Amino acid sequence: MTDTFRLPPLEIEEYKLANGLRVVLNPDNAIPVVSIAVYYNVGSRNERDGRTGFAHLFEHMMFQGSENVPKAGHFQHIMKAGGTMNGTTSSERTNYYETLPASQLPLALWLESDRMKSLAVTQENLDNQREAVKEEKRLRYDNQPYGQIFDLINEMIYKNFANSHSTIGSMEHLDEATVEDVQDFFRIYYAPNNAVITLSGAFESANAKSLIETYFGDIPSQPLPPDLDVTEPPEVAMTYKEWEDKLAPFPAFLIGWKIPQRRTPEFHALYLAGKVLYDGESSRLYQKLVKGQEAVIQLFGFTDERRGPSSIFIGAIPKPEEDLSKIRETIMQEILDLATHGPTAEEMEKIENQLLNDSVRLRQSSMSRAQQLAEFALYDGDPTLINTELDELLAVTAEQIRMAAAHYLNTENRALLDVVPAGKG
Amino acid sequence: MSFRQGKGKHNFMTTDFRKLPPEPLEPVSFEIPKPFQTTLENGLRLIVIEHERLPLVSFRLAFNSGDVNDPDGWDGLSGAMTSMLSEGTAEYSSLQLAEKTERLGAGISASSSYDFTIVSASSLSLYSSDILRLMAEVVLRPTFPESELDLYRRNTVEHLKFQRSQPGFLAGEQAARLIYGDHPYSKVSPRADDIDRLTRESLVEFHARSIIPNNALFIVVGDVKRDEIVSEIKGLFGDWQPGTAPAPVARATPKRSERSLTIVDRPGSAQSNIVLTNLGVDRSDPDYFPLIVMNQVLGAGASSRVFMNLREEKGYTYGAYTRVDFKRLAGDVEATAEVRSAVTGESLKEFFYELDRIRNEDVAADELADAKNFLTGVFPIRAETQEGLTNLIVNQYLYGLPENYLQTYRDNVDAVTIDDVRRVANKHFRPDEMAIVIVGDAEEVLPQASEYAGTVEVFDTEGNIQDVAKYANAADASTADVAGKWALSIDFQGQQLPVSLTLEQNGESVTGVLETMLGDGKIADGTVSGNKLSATANAEMQGQPIEFAIVGKIDGNAMSGTLTAPIVPEPLPFSGTRS
Repeated sequence: MTDTFRLPPLEIEEYKLANGLRVVLNPDNAIPVVSIAVYYNVGSRNERDGRTGFAHLFEHMMFQGSENVPKAGHFQHIMKAGGTMNGTTSSERTNYYETLPASQLPLALWLESDRMKSLAVTQENLDNQREAVKEEKRLRYDNQPYGQIFDLINEMIYKNFANSHSTIGSMEHLDEATVEDVQDFFRIYYAPNNAVITLSGAFESANAKSLIETYFGDIPSQPLPPDLDVTEPPEVAMTYKEWEDKLAPFPAFLIGWKIPQRRTPEFHALYLAGKVLYDGESSRLYQKLVKGQEAVIQLFGFTDERRGPSSIFIGAIPKPEEDLSKIRETIMQEILDLATHGPTAEEMEKIENQLLNDSVRLRQSSMSRAQQLAEFALYDGDPTLINTELDELLAVTAEQIRMAAAHYLNTENRALLDVVPAGKG
Repeated sequence: MSFRQGKGKHNFMTTDFRKLPPEPLEPVSFEIPKPFQTTLENGLRLIVIEHERLPLVSFRLAFNSGDVNDPDGWDGLSGAMTSMLSEGTAEYSSLQLAEKTERLGAGISASSSYDFTIVSASSLSLYSSDILRLMAEVVLRPTFPESELDLYRRNTVEHLKFQRSQPGFLAGEQAARLIYGDHPYSKVSPRADDIDRLTRESLVEFHARSIIPNNALFIVVGDVKRDEIVSEIKGLFGDWQPGTAPAPVARATPKRSERSLTIVDRPGSAQSNIVLTNLGVDRSDPDYFPLIVMNQVLGAGASSRVFMNLREEKGYTYGAYTRVDFKRLAGDVEATAEVRSAVTGESLKEFFYELDRIRNEDVAADELADAKNFLTGVFPIRAETQEGLTNLIVNQYLYGLPENYLQTYRDNVDAVTIDDVRRVANKHFRPDEMAIVIVGDAEEVLPQASEYAGTVEVFDTEGNIQDVAKYANAADASTADVAGKWALSIDFQGQQLPVSLTLEQNGESVTGVLETMLGDGKIADGTVSGNKLSATANAEMQGQPIEFAIVGKIDGNAMSGTLTAPIVPEPLPFSGTRS
């Protein structure tokens, strides 16, 4: 049925400014809005020990003003133009993005270029944002039940410090950050030749190019950042840990495996193995554990996609009286079955349709397109992969999924984090 | 280049073009596509927007009844009935429904809110007929199997327990109780005994009464042919029998005359989750547009006043917001933030400052213009996805807004004046009768927050009322005796460092000396409040003045607490005894 289905390709133009800034344009006039995404090739993986949380703290600093934009002026300018914006930090990159009415493209370029060219790094801004980041850490991690388990399991999976430490970082390291650190970080990582800018939505290409040259063309390039080693031995760093969580109402566990990097055939196969195991109500583990055995309150799983060694997780919050080891046996039993027999024909049909559906759906909004294009440009040097990645995934066979599950999941080489409620009740 | 070089604007020939924000390009107009409308003989209203941009389709069947229509004594009935729609039908089991839907790469979901019940489905347009058939099966022929209901009951009861570990849930629960009293909007969630009471018969009966075509709206947005889809829907839903929907149980909301403080004690909480709230208005209120504009100025976003104050200036919180919630029968207004426990009182002060300011002073013309620009500008962004476009249309019809609502939205926002903003701020944000709800460590919160309210109550996380005196003891009960020499041990990165604290007490005032290995500090203006000691010791280290902040809790001859100094990043815990 889907043989006739063809994903309409996106119109993509790609070039580089003289200073090394990579530009990707995706004109699409369906709705009069435009999205701009600026991706810097720096994430928590670039942090050294003693300075964890720095990439993310820096993301906050980027909203604190630059030569011609006052402190917090970025929010104000975008919002009063009727736009939305944000920035996020992951292990891989730091991104900044905005969606605006199409007529406001110059405003976005002015704002993004001003902070790339002349960020205001002051003690006052640093102190203030350090406090905001600490509140964010308290809110999202320390004060939430199960809030720290993903940071903990990454420390168990990865041996290389670049991979294992958390993006939010430690309070102590945040306190030690000095203005000089922030200035160095800006110079090294926030250079045009270490970034990608993507435009998607309603604009005229020739006009956009000329605006980009005007605003970004005179920002000087910098020597490339130091080389980064994210290599890992195949073994996980630690196979078991018990974690006392003061806020957790129930016991829970999280299993993590170390797997090959994104866009390898193995990663693709494991991503699809994950769909078979835990994605949706018809998935094997949902049917076994939430339905069949009625043993868990919540089941979840996902892949963490990185440019280096990556990971896949399966976790559950079982019902209070349940035997956790029995639930884990069921999970490993299903993995063994997948590793032995592979996915069924029905599961392969489901995978195919879900992949088609996901890729069409992700093309709806200009921001979603701009972000995907920026990732492919930054990580792979080729934004047109947005038009072909679907075919790569559709080409994965049931046998490849079976083999990947057998090699990477059906193994003792995995990390198990047990969460023990430690509150007063 | 199509730049207009206006007055005072930049010129790219000079280096000064960066000084001022650039002029926008020519605006591009945006029109919400006109929907096709028809009504089936059984009363089902049908709205279709042909949207060919991508090979997708979204269906939404929305009922004008929700949790407020739960019969008396049957809280949670709408929620349960809705969740169970896809757990078994005349033709398919729960597993078969999940497999059939997911094998198409599609999704069907159903949920109820206070006012509405909504069944949504979406798929690639090539599977439009298949997903529509499954949707009809789920809506018209659910069987509510006993075994699935049993699982639903048990999972929901566990979920209700889990919610109690979430501070946001606890705050919302208390806020709703205080504002809505006996009104059904007071119930943010059913209780475990409500869920246990549900039977298969009650679901079957309630489904028959409330899932009826003449109380519903069917919206299709996507790559479909209008005539084909209308005839398919007629074929599948045309024989569905109309009925009379259960009426909502509307009760009066309590009248509030003073400011109250409600604390939910979460011992050891790193943060205080603050909600300030009072009753607002329903969605049909003529103040809707002035209120959303006012709220944009006050606290809706990251450039609004409370965010700029509490986060950007003070660094108390990751985010601080205000919200105006309009429901079908009533509404409320809220100011919220999660702040670190030590600045709970200061945060209340800033919230009330901002509320007073917008009530007593005219908003600046440019601030008003910015708020309006935001509200009108984001409008097309919301219509980029099929789901977003469907949301806009669903809301217009469910709330019974005018036919031209989406087309006149921009004009209505633009019409709001400076006087309107001040008027609606005064009318709808009423600090003198607000309920203050704080989820946090009651011992820490109470002394900071009690001065802001006329009455105080404390609950545990299970919702049981507690004796306020238990927490107040720490603050205002008999002042502890702290005089004497204390031998304390500070935990510095795992090492125990001895210090000695010699105190003299005069009523609540304390003076004394802090002796450490690094030098001695003088305490000039310490205080004891209940069993809590708070003091600052001024010392000198290597010729530099340095301040140690001491916070201790006295328990007879034992004291524990923290010592904070600018040279160490985190407060250092200490404990010890009086010699």
